[in-house]
Amino acid sequence: MLKELRIPALLVITLLLLAACVAAPPAAEAPAEEASMDEAPADMSGKVVIASGGNIRIGGSFALTGPIPDPGLNIRHGAELAIDDLNAAGGLEGFMFELVAEDGACDGTQGTNVGNKFAADETIVAVTGGTCSGETFGLVPILQEARIPFVSPSATNPDITTPDCDVCNRVALSDALQGATDADFVISDLGFTKVAVVHDNSDYGKGLAEIFQSNVTDMGGEVSSFEGVQVGDTDFRAMLARVGADGPQAVFFGGYSTEAGLIAQQMTETPGLEETAFMSVDGAYTQQYLEAAGDAAEGTYISFVAGADSEDMNAEFDAKYVEKYGVSPDDLGPFHSQSYDSVKLIAAAIMAVATVDDSGNLVIDREELISAIRSVDAFEGLTGTIKCDSIGECGAGGVQIFQVADGAFDQVSGFGME
Amino acid sequence: MAPSRLTAQAAGVNGKTALRFLLRAFGAAILILVIWRVTTVGLAEGYPASFWISQALNGLVLGGVYALVALGYTLVYGILFMINFAHGEVMMIGGIAGFFALQFSQARGWMEGPWPVVVAALLLIMLFGMAASVLIGVALERLAYRPLRQAPRLVPLISAIGASLFLQYSVLLIFGVSPHSYRKPALISGGMRMGDVFIPYTGAIIFFTSILLMLALYFIIQRTKLGRAMRAVAEDRATASLMGVDVNAVIVITFMLGSALAGAAGVMLGFHNTVVKFNSGFVPGLKAFTAAVLGGIGNIPGAMFGALILGLIEAIGPSALGIPTEYKDVIAFSLLVLILIFRPSGLFGEVLSEKKA
Repeated sequence: MLKELRIPALLVITLLLLAACVAAPPAAEAPAEEASMDEAPADMSGKVVIASGGNIRIGGSFALTGPIPDPGLNIRHGAELAIDDLNAAGGLEGFMFELVAEDGACDGTQGTNVGNKFAADETIVAVTGGTCSGETFGLVPILQEARIPFVSPSATNPDITTPDCDVCNRVALSDALQGATDADFVISDLGFTKVAVVHDNSDYGKGLAEIFQSNVTDMGGEVSSFEGVQVGDTDFRAMLARVGADGPQAVFFGGYSTEAGLIAQQMTETPGLEETAFMSVDGAYTQQYLEAAGDAAEGTYISFVAGADSEDMNAEFDAKYVEKYGVSPDDLGPFHSQSYDSVKLIAAAIMAVATVDDSGNLVIDREELISAIRSVDAFEGLTGTIKCDSIGECGAGGVQIFQVADGAFDQVSGFGME
Repeated sequence: MAPSRLTAQAAGVNGKTALRFLLRAFGAAILILVIWRVTTVGLAEGYPASFWISQALNGLVLGGVYALVALGYTLVYGILFMINFAHGEVMMIGGIAGFFALQFSQARGWMEGPWPVVVAALLLIMLFGMAASVLIGVALERLAYRPLRQAPRLVPLISAIGASLFLQYSVLLIFGVSPHSYRKPALISGGMRMGDVFIPYTGAIIFFTSILLMLALYFIIQRTKLGRAMRAVAEDRATASLMGVDVNAVIVITFMLGSALAGAAGVMLGFHNTVVKFNSGFVPGLKAFTAAVLGGIGNIPGAMFGALILGLIEAIGPSALGIPTEYKDVIAFSLLVLILIFRPSGLFGEVLSEKKA
């Protein structure tokens, strides 16, 4: 048995070694599949028909398991509250809204599974999500093919929205902005010239790290090392020893909370990095980061893609959130307001195109809905005045930079402080 | 009829020689590739000696953890001739139990007390984690493996994989998906700094405790009556039973020993890396299995040295080869494949199960 396996095993090992030595970084692929309108499922020629008494079903892909379960749950809560508010206001012509929540697990494969589930269900009108960029890349080609528009509250990889995808939208801000702002902060405000860049090999983390890297280089800074880790790793000492050998002034990490926290903590145990500044991104703007980093969190920098909050609306939202879930929304994660707006944005577009036919059914044309989301203009949400552009960027607000002081995030620069 | 069969046999022999030659050539090619990488790229980076020492120390700590878990694989394989793939989860449960024991002692202020109190509390936490692991290990043996003892060898293996998933997702359902963060008491936070080499206290504790536990295990197996019974069952279960050895009791005790070591590893890894969650036993479990195979599965000193070698290779390998550290798992598992190809019985051979193989 063993001998029969030798030749294939040898081939595999040779390939692995070659891959390791050549080490060409795998390019993050942005699915840009052109789908034709004719291929839409044959439900009344591209229309969703909801019989009287039925619900308007909106799918939700949330990262309920995987690396950021708390922020994922937080986003689900935000969407549920939006559905509650829509229904309390009477729904649409007597039809109530319903959220069909699925676990996207912050992962491309699971995103594909969720996408297939929604595509197979003819009653799904639109989708809110996914939470993570990798997960959303899994959704994109399937929803594009099925003609189901989606709005992501928190997927920030720049390639989520492209001119090729007409169903792709988001209310989060693109990482193109965050990466540039972070680089500017590190080089101009902190005055560093030599930084190390680390990422977690997720579509989100690696994408953001690459944007940061190229911005730093463009501004004349030096990137001393560019290292990857895996989501779920807990021991970064070997990687950090290597980063430390080059003596950078700051370490930038593109990734999620737990890994960011552990890296910040293990940096204090690495010769050459004990006093080095640490900066991470919106994926680590959570309580989980503070918990995982412990005392090492003090003085570290975190950036976040914030909305232009209207205080009254947010206070009302926070009160409802605490009443329903018994916890303050900020304790779980940062993107609840974006999630609320994402659902409300979808609902506004549905209201603009839905019609009631002679037999009392609610009829929503899929193609009309897709363009209706793009035509949203001056929609007042929790994150500010939302206006979608031609490729589906609907986010309002800007990038904020926080420094941890006494176990809390304290804004030191960026949006809202000018 | 006869001549044709002869030719077929000759062809078979030729094929075998050709295969052996091909294997040697591949082996040599891989070796040359590795040496070429190390000399032209890895060493050319010009890292200082302190860097290599730091990495080696990281490797020894990793190796210590792998060794404790690998012993569980090897003990069970030695006696039952099966791979307990749920063993990584046994370790994870030790880590989770340790987390709650730590919370309990923090709530009572034991972690802020004078150092003897803290040390006593830490020992209690470790014992609690070990006890939880032992409980799970014994339950596994009773419910997932014993009913299948007479079944073909593949069956308990599948049962083990099922048990592994069952344990992972039970922990997910009961304790949630979020990672649990260990808060290190001040006594074991930080570390010693010698020149440019930093040794975290938790790392030193892991290394020395694992050596101590391994020596204790070796003593039990080589010098006690129980150990003699275990070796007898490993050698020949039926004969041992005829000689008056209670085979079932020996198997249960083997699982208890292996699980206790894994539980200790889980708690110590919790303090070292500070987070545990439902799937944090999976990768270390696979690595420990690799270590056990590297040293020769069924062979106890083999598992210890295999684990230390694997830890060292994983820590030093990426830098020595001049490749990104994210490929450390590739190196570890490539090593597993290479060992299976060139030395399926491991570096130190399958001592305990020689007769069965």
